[in-house]
Formats: sequence, structure tokens, C-alpha cells
Amino acid sequence: MEAAAKVLTPQEERIIKGLDKEELTTEEAKNKRQRVNKLLARFRKVPRVDIQRALLFTESFQETESLPVVLRWAKAMENVLNKIEVVINDDELIVGTCGGTGRHSILYPELRGCWLEEGLQRLKEQGAYLVSDEDIKTVKEKIVPYWRGKTAHETYISLLPEETRYLIYGDDNYGASGLMQDNANINATLNWAVDYQKVLEKGFLGIKKDAEEKLNSLDVVDPQNHIQKTPFLKAVIIVCDAMIAFAKRYAELAREMARNEKDKIRKKELERIAEVCEWVPANPARTFHEAVQSQWFTQLGCRLEQPTTGVISNGRIDQYLYPYYKKDLEEGRINEDSALELLECLWLKIADFVPLNATNAKSFWEGYAHFEQTVIGGQTRDGQDATNELSYLILKSKKEFPLHYPDLSVRIHSQTPEPFLREVCELIREGTGFPKLLNDEEIIPHLLAQGATLEDARDYTGCACTEIRMINTSTYMVVGGNINLPAALEMALNDGVLKLKGNKQRLGVTTGDARNFATFDELMNAFRLQVEYLVRHFYIRQTALEMTNAMKLAAPLMSSLHDVCMNELTDIHQPLKGGVSADTGNINLNGFGTAVESLAAIKKLVYDDKKITMNELLEALEANFEGKEALRQMLLNAPKYGNNAPYADQIAREVDAMLLTTARKFKTPNGHQYIKFVPVTSHVGLGVVMGATPNGRKAGEPLSEGISPTQGVDMKGPLSTLLSIDRAKSRKYANSLARLLNIKLSPQVVAGEKGLQDLMSMVRTFCDLKLWHLQFNILNSDILRDAQKNPEKYRNLIVRVAGYSAYFVDLSPQLQNEIINRTEHQHM
Amino acid sequence: MDNDTGSVNHKLGRVFNIQKFSVHDGPGIRDVVFMKGCPLRCLWCCNPESQNTFPEIGYIQNKCIGIQECGYCIKACPKKAITNSTVETPKIDIDRRLCDHCGKCVDVCPARAITLFGQMMSVEDVIKEVQGGNASWRTGGGITVSGGELLLQADFVHDLLKECKKRGIDTAIETSGYGDWRELERICRHCNLIFYDVKCMDSDKHKAFTGVNNEVILDNILKVASQFPETPVIVRTPVIPEFNDSWKDIKAIVEFITQLQNLTEYELMAYHAFGEPKYRQLGRKYRLERVKPPKKEYISDLQQRANAILKKKSYK
Repeated sequence: MEAAAKVLTPQEERIIKGLDKEELTTEEAKNKRQRVNKLLARFRKVPRVDIQRALLFTESFQETESLPVVLRWAKAMENVLNKIEVVINDDELIVGTCGGTGRHSILYPELRGCWLEEGLQRLKEQGAYLVSDEDIKTVKEKIVPYWRGKTAHETYISLLPEETRYLIYGDDNYGASGLMQDNANINATLNWAVDYQKVLEKGFLGIKKDAEEKLNSLDVVDPQNHIQKTPFLKAVIIVCDAMIAFAKRYAELAREMARNEKDKIRKKELERIAEVCEWVPANPARTFHEAVQSQWFTQLGCRLEQPTTGVISNGRIDQYLYPYYKKDLEEGRINEDSALELLECLWLKIADFVPLNATNAKSFWEGYAHFEQTVIGGQTRDGQDATNELSYLILKSKKEFPLHYPDLSVRIHSQTPEPFLREVCELIREGTGFPKLLNDEEIIPHLLAQGATLEDARDYTGCACTEIRMINTSTYMVVGGNINLPAALEMALNDGVLKLKGNKQRLGVTTGDARNFATFDELMNAFRLQVEYLVRHFYIRQTALEMTNAMKLAAPLMSSLHDVCMNELTDIHQPLKGGVSADTGNINLNGFGTAVESLAAIKKLVYDDKKITMNELLEALEANFEGKEALRQMLLNAPKYGNNAPYADQIAREVDAMLLTTARKFKTPNGHQYIKFVPVTSHVGLGVVMGATPNGRKAGEPLSEGISPTQGVDMKGPLSTLLSIDRAKSRKYANSLARLLNIKLSPQVVAGEKGLQDLMSMVRTFCDLKLWHLQFNILNSDILRDAQKNPEKYRNLIVRVAGYSAYFVDLSPQLQNEIINRTEHQHM
Repeated sequence: MDNDTGSVNHKLGRVFNIQKFSVHDGPGIRDVVFMKGCPLRCLWCCNPESQNTFPEIGYIQNKCIGIQECGYCIKACPKKAITNSTVETPKIDIDRRLCDHCGKCVDVCPARAITLFGQMMSVEDVIKEVQGGNASWRTGGGITVSGGELLLQADFVHDLLKECKKRGIDTAIETSGYGDWRELERICRHCNLIFYDVKCMDSDKHKAFTGVNNEVILDNILKVASQFPETPVIVRTPVIPEFNDSWKDIKAIVEFITQLQNLTEYELMAYHAFGEPKYRQLGRKYRLERVKPPKKEYISDLQQRANAILKKKSYK
């Protein structure tokens, strides 16, 4: 019962000591990797919007109107890769950029091009991005006019029945109503990772050769070949050539710079860069340097081709890079430090690219979120532990490298070695929110249930926030959206009427006057009907989006790296026979905890104890609890989900079962959709527009996050929270995934050797309980409050928001408060 | 009954708190079960709600939403012990002389500003509550029974610990050692770890600051050492300014405990005043108001000197 003295995490200490400029975090690292430190010192500027990609892509599209989409895409890629500015910055070893020097965002006008007309100006005014007036003019005059009427988003909107469209968008087709929030055409595809290993082993020449052989053996008399396979293969060949040519432009530039370079060391480096870019990604990588460069060119190409949710994943980087690392180490070409230097040059490249969300629903996305999940650990395809020296090295880098990119995740399984887990927990203790944990013991069986082979399932990679992919097996590409569960409950309580942004409308189905519900089951049934109504519309939109993608999109580069596409000779956006298509969650539910606690409070107070009437409750909600504080307190103190107590946890389980059952009732052309719980930050945005809820939450406050209990109500320690999350999992069908769970701990809880052991115990428990995902925030709330007051002092304070880490000071005050209020599991 | 494996144990104990996720009271992540009632009245006690054996009403003023919004407790109290506060309007005053701890106000308080310390729980109830955290038992945690003084409810604690052991839950106790040896002996049989307080070697001073003499305590710890040589004992001393914070006091304790063959650790715990608000919640006066917590460096210096002596005797 001793009150521990305040313990700061290493990150907090650095900030308080005023070390707030970007640099490697230890003296040793700074000395050994001076290059990285120099590159870091130049980092962290507000991103600049670069319009080159948009301009070149549009230029090509204007000339290819007569061609099949896949060929148009290939030609547009060719135009972009041939003409986009090539830049090599001082001290860089890994080269290549999607949009010039420094931190940048690029535009994809083919998706939501019309938004750019007004949106760019607004972004400029908000100050979150730099855009020149000249570029805005160019976009308005040369880009938007071409795309008007041709964008994927317009096609999608036109395919939506008005009722569905209104539920999602209300009056703004680039915004969000608040009842649902749609991610359509913000990105072209779901979270994604490509088979980097294929490029490292074959090179694009090898991939091209495969395509050429297939093309030569096609029987062109077969119309199916003629209209689909031939253009696909031609497109693959074009992008392979374009990728190779792009790298050669870099080789050329490096050679030229080397010729003019006075500094002998840099001259050598530039010559080496030239050699590397001359060889990869055309050919198989021979060294670690070539492998890293080839990987970056590959993902750079993917970024130029199409935006994927959370930006493209790095996949299982400690697996596919390992052979090159090992060989170079053995042959004396590299040591740990030079390997780290190369990796960190890659991290910097990743950090420089900021996705721009072409949406008016700004509050749904915050803090320059991007998650290039970089996955380490886990199992090999034959079920052995996959940890190797590179896994440890990447953990080390995450400890010393100050930026919160790339997003690091560790696959945990029952045989995760103790020393590795120890290092992982040491890193968690640093307090940057890294790494997040994915649980093999839950995810692999989930993939098997979907029809994956055991080998493919073991080889899954994390993608985006907490999602996963099997890189050569998963084929489903269409993005989903969010459903506001507490809004569905409000409609169940008000006969389908919902108040959003203060306006009341009948948006749901009529389920009757809640005052007449004689039992809790009647309320649950009304809730179910409202959810079902929203899910039905969700399926309608999903079908419209699947159709839109097949009509409007192609991705020859990403397809060329996918076994299923190369077997069926079909673009990834077209219906495919092979692979596993129904493999990812799409119906993203927000406010699960809020809804569950609201239901528990109603059950307890209205039906079981009869302390209040339904009428009193509805009046109090209507009044946002003005003058009804006693009633609000009763609601706040009703049984809460997350405390490992059966009353509310049982309701959570019922709601979960209802959701999974409802999701199974409908189909899109691709099949059933999956339920997931990944809010990113939309639980804040959806909360802002919502009125008061029966868990005592006032209007405008954030909804609960992911699968976590409402902020601050889980008071029985993180193990109880884990057990509640476990109990809430109904396991009704295998159609639930990506259950995001965030636990915040004070540094003192995990201080010292014992604290480390306890943290390791928590992770093992998480693994035993087969929970999908877990991430920790280790911070003092005092520190966070101080950071709110003095943002300049905390410019680089990183917190884990939801599946990603962000700079605390970049977040809105609401989200900052939300993070502060998350239960601090502090022992006194 | 004692050895009837299938039976449900309905023996009742008075528990005032079960603290989840405790990381400082034994190995791993533990649940600490606090038993209500203590024969000692240590002036510095940071859990005053642990002292009386009977249930007590606690009032947390800043949680109270006031009589304008609420006032339910005033209406509910059959003894008219709760009134509109004359000092802190619009909040309430509780007249402790009238209160008989019936708990009616607790039931109606919507904000949980009024709480009842001390619930009767069966062994089965406690097991259910702590087994809920059963994930921790697999990873090095367990249950720690604390107080109050658990020896006041020795029968219940014995059954609880025995049941835990049977179910593979690691057990630890925290005791002042002030009680009947036969009871302590019965309990120690089911303990994997014992935290034992030795507060002061001077019996008169001990009595002045804790209300009891120390002979029983010192006698019991020697018996624990000789009868349970395999059970590790961690001796703790709360370091209280003006009571036992001199090196002379601490040295005397250290020299005494060198004879314990099962001593694994000696921990000094610096006085703190974090319990003070709880005195207010209970309508009691905190008597060490003017005492300042000792300096961190001073405590660590004492600890080092103590360890030096213990090391010489190679107590481990």
C-alpha cells in the first residue's frame, strides 16, 4: 500500500529535460549512426502537398480513354514513374520519393477528385498541410475538370439508393452524417501488404518474364483471354518496365551527383547508390542494402499506384530481410550498426510520406495517422518460432529511433521466447505505445476458419491498424466504414428518431415507444432491429463499392505481386476465384462499450431495480442531464463492462452475438462481411455529433474506443479488463476480428525488474486468453495535462491513440482529454 | 467439514476491500483481500477504515452532488443522522453519534459518495472475486490477505487460504503478528509467503504509538521462524518520525531479526500521509497532521545500513 514516487518513462524524461528535437535517443546510437541523426535533425516539418503524381496520372488518363482500365492504370503509372522528380538528399542511403524532398502528401484525384476543388484551400487554411496557391490553381484548372463526373466516388454515390446515401452522408457527400461514417474512396483499397520477398528474389525482370511467358502461351482466340488476361499481362509488363526505369533514373542521378561530389566519402556512397539502383528492383537483391532499397522502391510504387488504408504495410520484415542480413554479416559487408542505419533510412522514407484524407469529416481522422505496420516475431510457415537476430535489431531501433513511424507490431504466440518477450516489454515500457501486439493464438485459427491453409495462416502479416492479411491468399480489397452503435440504441429508445448535431430526424426503423417496453428483452429486440437496419444499408453500400472498384479501379503493380492474380491473370479489383476473399473485417463498430454500458444501466435501473422509469431516463437524456445529475450519477454507477463482473459483461456478450448474427444475414457479391472494432479516432468524431447516452455520457463526449470499456469505467485493473474482453467475445461465428484493445498504465506499475516481469505476465495472459490485439499506453496523466497546457514543451510526446501512435499535441482537445481520461491503472 | 472437498464454504468474514492488480504485495500481479478489524491503533495507520470490526459509513465529499440535485440520503436515514451541511453547502453532514451504520443512505446515494466499509463475505464469495483474476495465477500472481489484522478473523482466513492452496492459488499474508499463536500457526500452514511487521523493539514506546505492547508480536515471529523454516518471511518496518525513525530503533529491530532463519528480506516503509483523507471520510481526526514524511535519502540510508548488518549475518 505504499504510494510509489512518480516514475517517468524514458520518453517523458527526454521531453522534460528539453531534448525535444528529433534525434536518436542514446549517445551510443548518436555516435554510431551519425547519418541518421543528421537526417532526423532535418525532419518534422508540416507536410507539403505535392501534386506531381496527380498531374502526371491525369495527363496519362486523358490520353487513354479508349483502353481497358488495367492498361490505363499501367500507362498512368508509367507516365508518373518516367517523369516524376527524382531527388537524392544529403546523407541519404535509401533513395526514392513519391513527391519531392521532405515530408509530403500526394493526391489521388481518381477517387475523390471533386473534393479537391474546395478541400485543398481548406487544408491550407487549417495549416495542417502546406499547399502553394499555384498548385491549388493547377489542381483546379488541370486536374479537377478532367475528373469531374469520372471519379470513383461519384460512381459510388450514383450507385447508392438515396435512403442509403442519406443515412451515410446526410447533406455532404464528402463528409459523414454521424450515424455511419464511410471510408469509401478515401482510400482505394483496404489495408494491404505486398509480397516483397517476390521482388527480392525474382526482381521485376523475373516478374516481367513470367508475365511474358504467360502472354505468349495465351490462346487469343479464347475471348476470355482476349478481353481480360491479355490486357492484364500487358499492364503487368508495362509496370515492371516502369519500375525498373524509375530505379535507373535514380542510378543515373546518383552517378551524376557522384561525379560532382567533392567529399570523398559521399562520392563513394553515391556511387554505391548508383550501383544498387542499377541492379534493383530489376534483379534479385544480392545484399542487405539492395534488399532494403528494393523493398522501398516496391512500396513506393504501390503508394503511387493507389492509396491503401493506413498506407502499405512493411509485412514481415524480419523474415524476408533476414537472409540478406545474415549473409552480409557473415561475409563482413555489414555490422549491426550499418544494418540499423539502412533500416532507419527506410523508416525516414516512410515517415516522409503522409496520407491525406480527402474528406470533410476531419474529426474522424487525426494526428497524421499512418500505419505502415512492420511486423516481427510470430511463427514460420512450418510453425516454429520465427524470431531471429533481425527481430531484436528492429526492437533496438524502435527504442533508439525517435519517430513514431513505421508502426511496429509484434506477433505473440505461446512459444514466443522469454528473452524476446522481455525485450518487447522493455520497449513497451519506454512509453511510446510501441509495439502493438497481435496474437497468433487467436488470429491463426481465425484464418483457418476462413479456409486458409495452415502454412498461409501462420504466415499472416499485420496491416494498417490491427488488421491482418495473408499476402498471397487474401484478395478482398474493398474498404468499409463505421456504424455508430450508441446511435442505434438511441433510435431503439426513440422509435427510430435520432438527434445528430442537435437535429432530430427519423433515420431508423419504427420500433415503438420505449416507454411501453415491458421487459429488457423488448428493448434489446428494438436495438437489434435498428442495428439490423443499419447493417442492411451497410451491405447495400458495400455492394455499390465492390461494383465501383471493379468498374473504376485497377492495380497492376500490386496484382503482379499476388499469386492469385498471377494465376488467374486478373487484376486484384476484379472478382477472383482463388484465394480467400471474405477475409477481412469491414463493418467497423464504434462505441461498443458505450452501448453495452448503456444497456446494462437501463437493465439494472429501469427493469431490475426499478429505481427510475424509462420516461425519466428519456427526459434526462433529452435534457443532456441538465438538472438531472442524481439520475446521471445512478447511470454512471450502474454495473460497468470491463470489471470482470458478469452483469455487464454478459450483456456485452449478448450484443456481440447479436452483431455477429446480424452480419451473417446479408451478403455482397463477395460474401458476408466481417465485424471489427477499430475506431482509429472516429469514436471521437461520432461522439461529437451524438446526444447524451444512458451510460451517463454527456452530449459531445467521445464514445468508447474499439472493444475497450468506456473511458475510465474499468476500475479493477488491466487483468480484469482482459478477462471482460474475453467474456464479451461470443464466438458465435468466426466472423469477428480486429478487436482493438488499449490499456493505459502508469510508469510506476511497470517500474523495476518486478514491473517488467508483471508486464510480461500481462502479455502472456493476453496470449492465453486468445485476445486479438493489445497495446499499452504508459504515461502519467499529469504529464498529459501539462502537455495540453504547454504544447510547445511536449512537441514530440508520442501517445498511442488507437492502433497507431501520434504526437499528443497534434490531437484535438477532445481527443487529448479522452486519452487523459482513459483509466489509469495505477496502484496506490 | 474441513476436508470435505466438494462442499461450499459458507463461513463469513468481514472484508473492507479487495484490491485488484496489486503489484507490491508479493510475487506477480496479485489480489489483496483486506480484512476489517484490528487490535492495534497505530497513529499513522493509512487505512483507518480497517480498524473497527463493525461496518462503517464513509463519506467522500467531492463525489457528493449536493442536496439541490439529490438529498436522497437525508430522507433515507431512519436516525436522522444526516443533515444539510452548515459548513459545506449544499453538501451534507453525518452525525456519527446517531449513525448506526444501517447502510440505507449507501443504497440511495446515486454518486456513491457514501460507502459502507466492511461487507460480510463467504470464503466462496472471496474466491469468486479473486478467481475472476485467475489469469494472473498462471503467471506468478496470487492472493495476499491483509488487514486490519487478519488474526482477528483467523478462522475465516484459515479456510480462505486453505481453499486457495487447494485451487493452486499462491498465498501470502500481511500481519502485525499480534494475536493468538495457535491461530497464527494454523494460518501459516497455508501460506507461501509471510509479510510480518516489526515496528519497534521498545515495548512501552510500541504501546504508546500502536496501543499494544510488542511481546506477543516478537514471540510469535520467533515461533514462525522455528516452526515454518521453509516459509519465507519478509519483515517490514514503517518508519515513523518521532516514533522509530532513529538508527538506534532500526538497528535494534535488525539485530533482533537476524535470528530469523527464514528471513528473506527486510523492508523499510517510509511514513506517508496519504491516508489522511480517509480519516475525514470517516469523520475522524488524523493525529499525525504535523508529521512530515521522512526524506527519501534518509530512508535509503537506513535501509543500506540495515542491509549491511543483515548481509554480515548472511540471512538469506
